Amino acid sequence: MQIRRREFLKSTVAVGAFAAAGAPSLNGLAQASETCTSQLGAGSWVASVCQGCTTWCPVEVYVQDGRAVKVRGNPRSKQNDGFCCPRGHMGMQELYDPDRVKVPLKRTNPKKGRGVDPKFVPISWDEALDTIADKILELRKNGEAHKYLLMRGRYTYMRDIIYASMTKIIGSPNGISHSAICAEAEKFGPYYTEGNWGYRDYDLDNCKYLLVWGCDPVSSNRMVPATIRRLSGIVERGTLATVDPKLQTSALKGQEWLPVKPGEDGALAVAMAHVILTEGLWSREFVGDFTGGKNLFQPGKTVDEAAFTEIETHGLVKWWNLELKDKTAKWAAERTGVDAKQIERVAKGLGEAAPYAAIWLGPGAAMAVRGSYTAMAIHALNGLLGSTDHEGGPLAGMKPPVNKMPSVDAYKDELAKQKHKKIDQRGTKAFPALKKGKPGKGVVTNNTAQGMLDADPYEIKMAIGYMNNFPFSCTGVDRWERAMTKLPFYAHLTTNPSEMTMFADIVLPCTVATFEKWGFVKTKQNRYACAGLLQPVVKPFWDVKTDETEIPWLIAEKLAAKGFSNLLDYYKNEYKDPDTGESAKNAAEFTEIATKYYLSPLWLKKDGPGDKIADWEDMKKKGVWNSDPYPFKKRWGGKFKTKTHKFEFYSETLKAALTAHAEKHKTDVDDVLKTCNYTAKGEQAFIPHYEPPYRWGDEKEYPFTFVDYKSRLNREGRSANAVWYMEFKKLDPGDEAWDDVLKMNPKDAKSLGIKAGDKVRVTSVTGSYETRAKPWEGVAPGVVTKCYGQGHWAYGQIAAKEFGVSAESVNNNEIMPADYDRLSGSTARNGGLVGVRIEKV
Amino acid sequence: MTQLGMVIDLAKCVGCGACAFACKSENNTGDRVNGQTFNWADFTIETSGKFPKVEQQVIPVLCNHCSEPACIPACPVEPPALFKSPEGITLHDEDRCIGCQACQDECPYSSEDVDKSGAQYSVISFNEPRVGVYRRESFEPVIERGTGSGSEVIRLTNSDPPDRNRYQHPSYGSKRREEVTEKCTFCAHRVAEGLLPACVGACPADARIFGDLEDPKSAPSKAIKQAKKTSRLQEDKGTKPNVVYLGAFTGKKNG
Repeated sequence: MQIRRREFLKSTVAVGAFAAAGAPSLNGLAQASETCTSQLGAGSWVASVCQGCTTWCPVEVYVQDGRAVKVRGNPRSKQNDGFCCPRGHMGMQELYDPDRVKVPLKRTNPKKGRGVDPKFVPISWDEALDTIADKILELRKNGEAHKYLLMRGRYTYMRDIIYASMTKIIGSPNGISHSAICAEAEKFGPYYTEGNWGYRDYDLDNCKYLLVWGCDPVSSNRMVPATIRRLSGIVERGTLATVDPKLQTSALKGQEWLPVKPGEDGALAVAMAHVILTEGLWSREFVGDFTGGKNLFQPGKTVDEAAFTEIETHGLVKWWNLELKDKTAKWAAERTGVDAKQIERVAKGLGEAAPYAAIWLGPGAAMAVRGSYTAMAIHALNGLLGSTDHEGGPLAGMKPPVNKMPSVDAYKDELAKQKHKKIDQRGTKAFPALKKGKPGKGVVTNNTAQGMLDADPYEIKMAIGYMNNFPFSCTGVDRWERAMTKLPFYAHLTTNPSEMTMFADIVLPCTVATFEKWGFVKTKQNRYACAGLLQPVVKPFWDVKTDETEIPWLIAEKLAAKGFSNLLDYYKNEYKDPDTGESAKNAAEFTEIATKYYLSPLWLKKDGPGDKIADWEDMKKKGVWNSDPYPFKKRWGGKFKTKTHKFEFYSETLKAALTAHAEKHKTDVDDVLKTCNYTAKGEQAFIPHYEPPYRWGDEKEYPFTFVDYKSRLNREGRSANAVWYMEFKKLDPGDEAWDDVLKMNPKDAKSLGIKAGDKVRVTSVTGSYETRAKPWEGVAPGVVTKCYGQGHWAYGQIAAKEFGVSAESVNNNEIMPADYDRLSGSTARNGGLVGVRIEKV
Repeated sequence: MTQLGMVIDLAKCVGCGACAFACKSENNTGDRVNGQTFNWADFTIETSGKFPKVEQQVIPVLCNHCSEPACIPACPVEPPALFKSPEGITLHDEDRCIGCQACQDECPYSSEDVDKSGAQYSVISFNEPRVGVYRRESFEPVIERGTGSGSEVIRLTNSDPPDRNRYQHPSYGSKRREEVTEKCTFCAHRVAEGLLPACVGACPADARIFGDLEDPKSAPSKAIKQAKKTSRLQEDKGTKPNVVYLGAFTGKKNG
């Protein structure tokens, strides 16, 4: 027998020694002739996409006898270099989770509420779909189609079919996504400075100074494996710095940790801008220079706007005069708790490394009350450094050339054409939700519960939700529990019996992404755009269907049979097989044909950029399409999508949006900002600036500031029932396996007489809860922190203490009240949102 | 002579856990029960210092495939159930094992019961007589007739665990029988096929380097030679471990 050397050669391991050692020594295995030998367990690698986080890694699943046995990164992916993070491997624990819903269910207990047994009984798909179709048609018959609500959680881009088109053709404006509990405030920063409503990509290979701010990119924030691979390289050739109130992996690995006081991130950002300008370290190439050549940015002194000539930017001197001139490192040190010397050192380090420098803005710094301006202030540093779109900096990214959703206009009847306001109250004076420059365009996910409770603008009579669990994942949980209790009819499309399922009238069991579902995703990372294909790598062993395609088709069939065929007509006429021109004949055909429809430009446009895909079979085999690399400086030269087409330090784009919102409500911008709980007045409204944090609970009664964070093992809130999640929870710095510990500084613990493992009562303005405590040096005195993800009272037997009844610990979203960064519509969960009192039980 | 070994570059490691999960996937190791971890790949985590000057050292651990292993002489079976392969892998023959746990007791990196000893990990685990590695198989459904159960998933997939990776190796099975000990094999079944151990191949940071430590030209030997700082766990015990660590997990701080 001969030892095969494919991976040994790749890693230049001792080939010679192996030949000398003689292979039979490894116990006489038979000659391996195939890639997948019987010794290794005959099987094959099938491509799909991990949806454990929004990195959306192209992966491959090893399939033996129709079972998924292991996962790896797709070696063809240019985003993850063929590696997935721990979440990819954990996916199988969701697929084979014994607590999955296995058949359609209906509620037999009319009473609803937390802890109330729904008394679910199994029913046929036919009965379940008939019930849903009848409810839809009843609304339509009564002219109340707008009282239908579709709530979406995580998704693939097949979302159009259930979230957009079905909702619109039925006749409701209420497609409500989860987006604003995720990161809309984070997008606000780059949009109102450089016109990019989205996540940034980063050229880490060429980065010499990375400042991570409010996230841990080796754990989350959209390019996880690529960052894991590149982090040590940055430390080796340059500097890694991290701003986070809590110790995390990037802070441990890098040269600088700036443990900012929760919510004071904006102070730190404007002080860094102040230092970069006073030290003369801004990018001359990108920002421009003083006409006289002498740096006139001196602390406390205003500058004549005419003295500075800008190149790719707009409003630098206005920003200096209005905000930055007095924001010294010393000023920031008093607020942030970060040493002034460290602020200066990091700002200078960035300036010296620029433009090979990137500020990596994460939701921790943005998803806060007033977080929009913090996001702008942090992201604006990339403008000063001239690093945006530059080698080694943050990039905008590209999109794969896939098909768009076909228009629904021809399928909307008179009822569906009626205009109605949305249930989340977006666009009202107190919810500007200024997505992409348009007032009321953004979703206010978490306020949907309030809209439902207050029947404002109207009552919601029926809702469908998929891949979501809002009574767990939204702050102010009790509002969702009450709203779901009040809702007359709810159908939940889900894999697990989650908290939201417990309020359902009909439960439809769904396929698990990566393993059982057709779909596709669009991503950008590591300088590449990518289209990734999700396909069923194994046959479902439960009676489950796909939420985004099969179920809406089946509902459409029922609606057609009962006399309303518009939806089925739309699905049949608009989603045709791009190869044969044929329509789907059933749900199973539809789910594949629709996926194929979206991706078909990848092989039909022969001269397109990026990877060459021969046909659908080739796409299924490869599982991923990679673009060409992002061209640096793509938007330089006046191509930023802002009002001025420049990088705006004085945001004309925000001025236009805010003014439009104020005019809509017949008031002025000052009044809008006051209504929305910002402190800015006058021109300050249009620049990145410091806003003091807003805290629920005064410091006397609630002396500790609570910090929420995300686990590197959280699979979009779907891993709490996985044994592996609990077993390796210790991998989140400070955390313990099989526990959900509240970390506090040992000095505070000592003064309260709290030891590791003690049960503590955590009290906030929302109520009192219990969990275990752990003294830990990773937070400052006065700060306590706990990971989001545990504290389930449903979902499964590992996740809950007693299923349907009680939790082992507390869900962070119960501790935190519902509040918002209103300009973006985001739910606030960071920035020192809530104060707590801690007592030993 | 050949001595397969592993280098783990702690500066590259971010402690993500992909190695541990890839190991569990590959080798179908069980869920923790009664002081047995079944984590052939695991971690020790130590925090030191005071806020804000805090360090946390994360060390990925696995069987050290020692040159002077304590486990082999501890085995009372003749010939011992634990043995050295010619490549230097410390293997375990589950057919010969009598489950006395003496190997766990003698191995400085193992513990007969981590709950009792308080050890952060144990290289060797013991399969007590029980239903199987899939811990939840006996659970009742949470919604009667509405949700699944472990035993149902096993029946429908005809596999315990359902995601069992069915490989073959002469001395150990893809799932070990009851009443024997088990531990990391350096994925000998993969190595025989020219593949890297699962933990090495899955590391997104390329922090693990596998090969012959006796060959000065091998990748791990070169990495050791170039390293400023190397360490091995509990060298004072004299077992001559063949897992070598480079650098430190927490980086040097400015200022």
